Amino acid sequence: RPAGSMETPEVPAATYERRVVRSGAEHHYLRVRLELPDGGARPSVAQFKQLVVSALRELHGEVGAALPVDVLTYEEKTLSAILRVISSGLVKLWSALTLLGFYQNRRCAFRVLQTSPFLLALSGNSRELVL
Amino acid sequence: MVRFKNRYVLCEVVSEDPRCRQCIEDRAVSLAVRDAIGRVHGDYGLACCSISFTVKYLNAYTGTVLLRCRKDFYRLLCSALPFVRQLEGRNQRYPCALRTLHVGGTIRTCQKFLIQYNRRQLLMLLQNCTNEEERRCIQKSVLSCSLTEEQPQSGDEDDDDGIE
Repeated sequence: RPAGSMETPEVPAATYERRVVRSGAEHHYLRVRLELPDGGARPSVAQFKQLVVSALRELHGEVGAALPVDVLTYEEKTLSAILRVISSGLVKLWSALTLLGFYQNRRCAFRVLQTSPFLLALSGNSRELVL
Repeated sequence: MVRFKNRYVLCEVVSEDPRCRQCIEDRAVSLAVRDAIGRVHGDYGLACCSISFTVKYLNAYTGTVLLRCRKDFYRLLCSALPFVRQLEGRNQRYPCALRTLHVGGTIRTCQKFLIQYNRRQLLMLLQNCTNEEERRCIQKSVLSCSLTEEQPQSGDEDDDDGIE
């Protein structure tokens, strides 16, 4: 038998709302430097991006080459750049940069100096802090 | 951590050229699939999928191929199968495509699926056949792979010749 009229319990007014974000940021930023020990012609920004994409294509195929990677800044003098990549592709990009050995048949190496999900964190570097 | 788990991918070779059938061999198919994985997923994908990669079963008449790979990397393999465009054998190239029919954990489940699939294909062929002689052949095949009613006391033999 259905019970008589039941009083709806009073819902207390919510005073706060808690949101838990597990996925973190959408993009990851990497500050990298390309080392070309032989003093030859330095790549331009387009050639630099082509190098990054070709490294991805070698290690991870067409799927890796299609990863959205952006070169935010590039300094031709020091060959250092800031790359931005979708967070799900960070491992692929970093592994591809690590395993890249040649640029136009010249020995080269990528050094990853800093990485962070926030671009602002790349502006300071505690390693080069002069105390 | 007891045993290595595999995934078996059942595919069908679809080709417009009838001469492609004679080119379906396990080495040719294996090379074509590995080449496609290398293009799509690079060195890393190629190495991952090659760990336990073989062509387990091949039927040149129906164009059925059964591939095996590790369970952790079967998605790499399945996503690279649409990129197989040609089969090479004996210095001949034939354009073809691989259609995925079923992904199973054991050869037995793939075989069960293949038997049912072939039964349905036989019925469809029966509907579409043009020749009276073809019709008789197919009817004979269909009858031979269905259960017989007359001997209930003999062991219940499921006359499976789906792989024909």
